[in-house]
Amino acid sequence: MEFTRSLSIAASGLRAQAGRMRVISENIANADSTADRPGADPYRRKVASFERRLDREMGADLVQLGRVKRDEGAFKTRLDPGHPAADAKGEVKLPNVNSTIEMMDMREAQRSYEANLNVVGATRRMLARTLDILRV
Amino acid sequence: MPLAGLPMFDMLKTRMQWHQARQRVLSENVAGADMPGFKPRDLRQPDFDGAARGPGPVTLVSTQGGHLPGFAGASSAATAKSGSFETTPSGNSVQLEDEMMKVAQNQMDYQMATSLYAKSLQIMKTAIKRG
Repeated sequence: MEFTRSLSIAASGLRAQAGRMRVISENIANADSTADRPGADPYRRKVASFERRLDREMGADLVQLGRVKRDEGAFKTRLDPGHPAADAKGEVKLPNVNSTIEMMDMREAQRSYEANLNVVGATRRMLARTLDILRV
Repeated sequence: MPLAGLPMFDMLKTRMQWHQARQRVLSENVAGADMPGFKPRDLRQPDFDGAARGPGPVTLVSTQGGHLPGFAGASSAATAKSGSFETTPSGNSVQLEDEMMKVAQNQMDYQMATSLYAKSLQIMKTAIKRG
């Protein structure tokens, strides 16, 4: 039935956005995770992407979280000679996480999640209207 | 005379199926709102010209050579790429606001179709009631 497909497509969107939210929360939680020895790299920011998945049984194009990639951007550095991860010049490499960007991403994920929820609600109301025909 | 053969009920049925198919296409658009390279789609309106004179079979129209045949019984109208005025750098041109408007519109029109269907059934019942 078409409505079941609509619901499963919207559910796949919800799942994908929730996965993206997980990646974003990993980034924010690790915004200060440095290495524990000199020369080693700190936490590298992760980027989520979406891809299409054809559900042959349902006959519907679903969305799923694709492979989570690493942001290859440069690390920030801070002068802190006492830090265990400080190099010869006394500089410590910090993660390339920008909290403003993460907040923006989070808002976007939230907005898309709400949109998918609205579609689920609308589809459910349409289904209820169909059942109302029986009550004539 | 079977109820399903009446043009009124047939048209409403086609209309309701169209709304269901459109809901699927719209939910695909919303779900793919953040997918790189995704293009939103929409369904073409079903053609009711001549349907009042006598219902004919509704078939899928392929407008281009590369079109695949649709899923069996999935929809009675062809999917059309909708024109959009903004495309993000990732090639995605879904406007969430537009899609939400379309979802709301679709829901309202579907409600109208089901109400009409229910009313038509009521009229039938009135007609067959004993006096």
